[in-house]
Amino acid sequence: MENAQLISLSRQVALQRQMDVVANNLANINTTGFKAEKMLFQQYLMPVAADRDFAYPDQKLHYVEDWATIHDMGNGAITQTGNPLDVALNGNGFLTVQTPAGERYTRSGSLQLDNTGTLVDLDGNPVLADGGPVQFDPTDTDINISANGTITTNNGAKGRLQVVEFANPEELTREGNNLYAGGTPEPAVATRVMQGAIERSNVSGVAEMTEMIRIQRAYESLANSMKSQDELRRSAIQKLGELSA
Amino acid sequence: MKALYIASSGMSAQERNVEVISNNIANMRTTGFKRQRAEFQDLLYQAYRRSGSTTSDQGTIVPAGIEIGSGVKTAATPRIMTQGAVSPTEKELDIAIRGDGYFAVQMPDGRTGYTRDGSFERDDTGLLVTVDGYQVEPGITIPSGATNVSISADGIVEAYVGTAAAPTQLGQLQISRFVNRAGLESAGENLFVETASSGAPQNATPNQDGAGSLLQGYLEMSNVNAVTEIADLIAAQRAYEMNARVISGADQMLQATSQLR
Repeated sequence: MENAQLISLSRQVALQRQMDVVANNLANINTTGFKAEKMLFQQYLMPVAADRDFAYPDQKLHYVEDWATIHDMGNGAITQTGNPLDVALNGNGFLTVQTPAGERYTRSGSLQLDNTGTLVDLDGNPVLADGGPVQFDPTDTDINISANGTITTNNGAKGRLQVVEFANPEELTREGNNLYAGGTPEPAVATRVMQGAIERSNVSGVAEMTEMIRIQRAYESLANSMKSQDELRRSAIQKLGELSA
Repeated sequence: MKALYIASSGMSAQERNVEVISNNIANMRTTGFKRQRAEFQDLLYQAYRRSGSTTSDQGTIVPAGIEIGSGVKTAATPRIMTQGAVSPTEKELDIAIRGDGYFAVQMPDGRTGYTRDGSFERDDTGLLVTVDGYQVEPGITIPSGATNVSISADGIVEAYVGTAAAPTQLGQLQISRFVNRAGLESAGENLFVETASSGAPQNATPNQDGAGSLLQGYLEMSNVNAVTEIADLIAAQRAYEMNARVISGADQMLQATSQLR
């Protein structure tokens, strides 16, 4: 009888984590270049709980286990901003930034200049081009970034943005600050750089709200079933404990 | 359950977003105002099951782990430094900058402020000042009795003084340029001050080496686009509501737990 409660518990723990994932997606619904997370579950067979000596052997118990969170790498909506240092990536590529911990990858193309004229991300990490960080002079005007990532100004070419793609983006881990780490980067072939636009987060508000309601109802129905299991056990203890002499 | 805190971080981020948007809309008609945009970043992730860890002695590994985020933060509110529309005012001391650069202004606290707002006036000594009476650098005095003040695209101020047949040159306006304009700190009153991230100002002659040119009798309007701001406002408000719903949803789940028996 406890098994029923333990199985419900395994589902409840998984649902709570899934609720956290939905909350994180919705919290980042306006984060530039954010990719939604989705949670995968698998059933977990508990072999030890089965007893095969009866005429009708016990069924194996099916617990639920949260198995993985995957990145939904679909493109977000691309919005025009008119800012020459905003770039959106049309395709599956990532920009490469140099952080103190090594190279990291981002889809957030809201770029800035620092006090030395280096092209940086919002945290001041240099954005890498084929020849290292991109450097601008105060006399540089008319910054132009072409579809293949080549940066030119009125003073000539400044390098080409290092746009990388991943054969399996699920290998990437999230680091926060819109950064991804890991994976095996390859030069992008099918990604086009769009200047003067940013990529919005690809979180769908409707889908997440529906998911949330579903999680909440599933959680409540489990709570109800646990309640009735609890009552069942209580009445069993009472009934079995009665001394009917 | 982290969902409560995650959603509250989302609500406070959207609150910040609405503040930025409302400031943009409030300054829609402010001369030389540059709109801001709230930029967000996701917070750290907690890995319950790390991708790449080994799952069996056959060397199989976890293809995708469990990573649960902790919400969102406002990373920056950079200004979008695009050119605002220039609108004619027919006032001789109104100057718009077309292109890169700022007018330098002597602030009362001794610092130098930088502004794109070129709606200048004369003070009682004839000195060129901003609408707040702060002196424009370099100081240019327009003598009394001067008529037909003209300001050229490269900043040369000329006027006919008295009965002279030819105009007198009164000085040349300079503009200041920054490596990182978005790093300037807003000081209010349409003024910016330099910071460590903007870099030191570089004086430039207008209309030379890529510096902006001056346009007399015009003012630069703000670069706020009403339609975009309202669309952003709607998106921010809906995102706020959705995050609020997550809080009540998480609350109801906790309630279901606490009423188990």
